[in-house]
Amino acid sequence: MSTDRITQADKELWQRLATGPVASPEVSDLEFAAWLEGRLSETQAARIEAAVATNPEMRRAAMDLSEILGMPLPAAPPRMAVRAQALVGFEAERAAPRHGWLRSLLGLGGGFALPRAAMATAAVMIAISGFMLGGGLGESYAKERYGNSGTVVSSQNSNELTAFFASDGI
Amino acid sequence: MTELNQIDLRVLATGNKRAWDTFVVASTPLINAVVRRTLSTYRLSEEDVMDAAQDVYVRLCANDFRLLKTYDPARAGLSTWLAVVARSSAVDHARRRRQGTTPIDDVPEVALAVEDRHVEKLKIPAGLLTERQTLILKYLYDEERDVAEVAQLLKIDAQTVRSTHHKALLRLREHFKEESP
Repeated sequence: MSTDRITQADKELWQRLATGPVASPEVSDLEFAAWLEGRLSETQAARIEAAVATNPEMRRAAMDLSEILGMPLPAAPPRMAVRAQALVGFEAERAAPRHGWLRSLLGLGGGFALPRAAMATAAVMIAISGFMLGGGLGESYAKERYGNSGTVVSSQNSNELTAFFASDGI
Repeated sequence: MTELNQIDLRVLATGNKRAWDTFVVASTPLINAVVRRTLSTYRLSEEDVMDAAQDVYVRLCANDFRLLKTYDPARAGLSTWLAVVARSSAVDHARRRRQGTTPIDDVPEVALAVEDRHVEKLKIPAGLLTERQTLILKYLYDEERDVAEVAQLLKIDAQTVRSTHHKALLRLREHFKEESP
């Protein structure tokens, strides 16, 4: 402490004295910040100073903050920022789909559009090849029209139903 | 890097992710410094520093950024207000952590100190000293702070602190009939 003008007698006098029990006024964070910056009028500042004078925690807070705000600050650990940033969600998660289901299905506008297109083309080619090897629609149609007649099939179905009911004793 | 005073608070309070990330990057050095300083008297771990800093950000964005929306740039700078909020949040964190589990040897002496009630002290009548005079005497004698530190805090020059201190003591001596040596 600077003792150039503060004598032992002054200190002893102060130690024999006690400030009266003063009700500490409520001080908001914003008021305290404004006082720290010296933005308040004399009357407004007096109210804060009365509170600070009666509260040791506020006195320490004022001194600590005044010192911190007046010095260059070291960088914070990167993990501190990463954790804090995770508190507010990502825009992509919160935004409604803007391009419709078809665009999102095809991946248009996304970073994987080309691989998705290649995969889709390959799938279509395989499907067509399989269809062609199986004879396609033409062979199925021919079988339906010129192959076994529908009456035979229906009589077979009818016989199966009769046998089923007979086995249940109906 | 974006400075804190360049942050668009209206956008930030809407929950904009990019604005929040920018705000976090700009504010972590301050929050880190305040939390670290506040917890230093409580001898808590590095993990506590991280958690207390996280508490500050949780407070700021909780309930749809309610606390952040109370900030008024016309009344105080964002850095100063954030520092006050961070300090308050860190003290709460330290008190929660300390509840019922800390050995008495780990509690700083200043936190355990109690006033000696057996010593009869003369009461300073209300109104004898101004609030500023009382504050300056408290800082100089009770906190044993330097005149320069008090001057920096009160945004006045050191000579003003000395003269305020001098006038306050004159009033006290006059009232209590003390003789200066």
